[in-house]
Amino acid sequence: MVHSELSRRGFLAGLGGLGAAALLGGCATSGSDSGSGSSATLTLQSSLSDPSPKAALTKVVEGYTKTKVTLNTIAIETFRAQLPTYLNSATPPDVLTWYAGSVARDYASKGFLLDVSDMWTGSGACAGFSPALKELSTGADGKQIFVPTSYYWWGVFYRKSAFQEWGVQPATTWDEFINLCKALKAKGVAPLTMGTGSTPWVASGWFDYLDLRVNGAQFHRDLLAGKHSFDSPEVKAVMEHYRELLPYIDPKGRSYSWQDAVTPLASKKAGMYLIGAFVTQSVPKDVVDDIDFFRVPVIDPSVPLAEEAPTDGFFASAKSKNVEGAKELLAYLASAPAQELYIKESASSNLPTSPQVSTTGFSPLVQKGIELLNESAAITQFFNRDSSDELQSTADTALTKFLDSPGDVDSILASWQSSAQKVLTS
Amino acid sequence: MTAVAAPTRRRRQRRHISPVVWLFLLVPAAIEVGLVFWPALNSFYLSLTRWNGLGAPEQVGLDNFRELFSDGVFREALGNNVIWAVGFGGLSVAGGLALAVALNKPRRGVGVYRSAIYLPMVFSLAVTGLFWRVQYQPDGTVNTLLGAVGLESLERQWLADPKTALYAVLVAAVWRQVGYVMVLYLAGLKGTDPSLDDASAVDGASAWQRFWYVTWPQLRGVNTVVFAVTVIDSLRTFDIVWAMTQGGPYHSSELLSTYMFQQGFTFLNLGYASAVAVVIFALALLFIITYLVRTLKEEVS
Repeated sequence: MVHSELSRRGFLAGLGGLGAAALLGGCATSGSDSGSGSSATLTLQSSLSDPSPKAALTKVVEGYTKTKVTLNTIAIETFRAQLPTYLNSATPPDVLTWYAGSVARDYASKGFLLDVSDMWTGSGACAGFSPALKELSTGADGKQIFVPTSYYWWGVFYRKSAFQEWGVQPATTWDEFINLCKALKAKGVAPLTMGTGSTPWVASGWFDYLDLRVNGAQFHRDLLAGKHSFDSPEVKAVMEHYRELLPYIDPKGRSYSWQDAVTPLASKKAGMYLIGAFVTQSVPKDVVDDIDFFRVPVIDPSVPLAEEAPTDGFFASAKSKNVEGAKELLAYLASAPAQELYIKESASSNLPTSPQVSTTGFSPLVQKGIELLNESAAITQFFNRDSSDELQSTADTALTKFLDSPGDVDSILASWQSSAQKVLTS
Repeated sequence: MTAVAAPTRRRRQRRHISPVVWLFLLVPAAIEVGLVFWPALNSFYLSLTRWNGLGAPEQVGLDNFRELFSDGVFREALGNNVIWAVGFGGLSVAGGLALAVALNKPRRGVGVYRSAIYLPMVFSLAVTGLFWRVQYQPDGTVNTLLGAVGLESLERQWLADPKTALYAVLVAAVWRQVGYVMVLYLAGLKGTDPSLDDASAVDGASAWQRFWYVTWPQLRGVNTVVFAVTVIDSLRTFDIVWAMTQGGPYHSSELLSTYMFQQGFTFLNLGYASAVAVVIFALALLFIITYLVRTLKEEVS
């Protein structure tokens, strides 16, 4: 009996030891899993979590044989929230998907991003890209920190057959647009759909465009850089126009994500959606050919035309354990065949950044998108891409509040300015 | 023979604890210190600094705390936490106790009810959140049911309306917690003395009197556990809010924990986020210590 008791204690103690060992072991493995400790494999952290782009990138990565690449796909809203943490960890992913412009510059200024200037000179993979793309991929210190691989345009998307049924035409001026909304509402259709529930950033689409149409691209860029105030008379004029739209925006959109809000458009319960060309990946296959778009109507003809054309691509972490490998992977991703494969597989209406990819075989919708961008005098990215992800969250708070209580616009703008000030000075 | 030998042997063992035992105790202690206490102390230190995770933290004294109390979002989150603690604690304790009393007596099919009510507990809070988010959609079950019984006027966008978002999440959290509290009370009720109940019934006490004067005092031990579990659960609530509203719309369902996460891991204001963490810690400690001191006093007297 005594003996058995002793052995039970020994057993329990042993169990505790085993448990501790397992715990330590667990820590050790989880540490090496999340990072890229060995230089043999590269980690590619991807925010392309929608089904088609995810499948497309998987295919592109499969085509890379030089080094073994682990592709980690994270739901985009989580990716957005966690990106600083990824970059800041001791063993960060080697290569990550994200956006060109101020948002990349912002991370570069914190010392998170790898200098890829050599890829932009001589026979580098990005050497043939346009000067505008190079400017967009350059940090505040003049070094390139980004590899752009595709871009797209924004517009007011609608279904051609639906507009025919309702007997309405796309609008080119603000008055025509308001009348169009009125006409659709009279037919029992929600004129505008907009998913601002779990993706509140969508509300910045109209804000950006109205600012571009009312105050112009330069003012918009300066505003997002903190050179103008969010409670200035210019921004108040923007909100006046936004307010005119509110009666025509489907109120259910407040509970939807941007993807959910495509459903009413596809089923002809809603008329129009101001969104990026990526919308085509969320539309049912048989509806894609029925999708068309028009330019956001002109408000003040004296303001030069500006469009949003967000640029996507990749950057590498400054702390990558395998800098050469990361750059080689970036060069592969930027190459014409990889871009072509991605665009073909993703079903998203992306445009290539490499001049070596021929766009003649692309769909009429994409051709129209290229034309739209060629006609515009200035190009912007999007609210967060022209500022920072942190400033975006101040816009989300202000704009979703505005959607609920437009009467409080003055106090909303004042508190937007004070929270933006906090972000810009921190 | 063994019966006599065992006690003497045991006493000797107690005096000379073998070094091996100390070694085995030391390992978990080291893990606890390294993985729990050290990071906790670190966050106290970080709350006095400004740090973005890169480079050296900059000492700012109590600035973070001063900023906290002038921060409108923090005050709203604090208020929401009070509503949450009262609502979550009150409803899950009241509901769990009522269900436990109702399902205490063995009768046909009672096991099925108990399992059904406990079932939500097996889902993680994130899954519970996703499940309820679907119910709360504009054309979801909640609105459809309201419409079916002629209450269209009550239909709303539960999670997108700042007036209802917090309460909508609260209902989901209580739905899950109530089964857990019920099981705790069922265990407590099993430990009560049925002969006391019978005696008071014979003396002519009503059902309510028997519960309040006979059963309830016997549940004091369980109450301490339930109180501690509920306060801790309500202060650390994070996942269900994050899964359902992420603190929105515009911070109306923000709790201290979600605000801390956003400041720390989205904006990398690690010093400021640590200050929020310290406040959460202080609140939890305050509640638990106050309650324990009061309970111990009652037990002594």
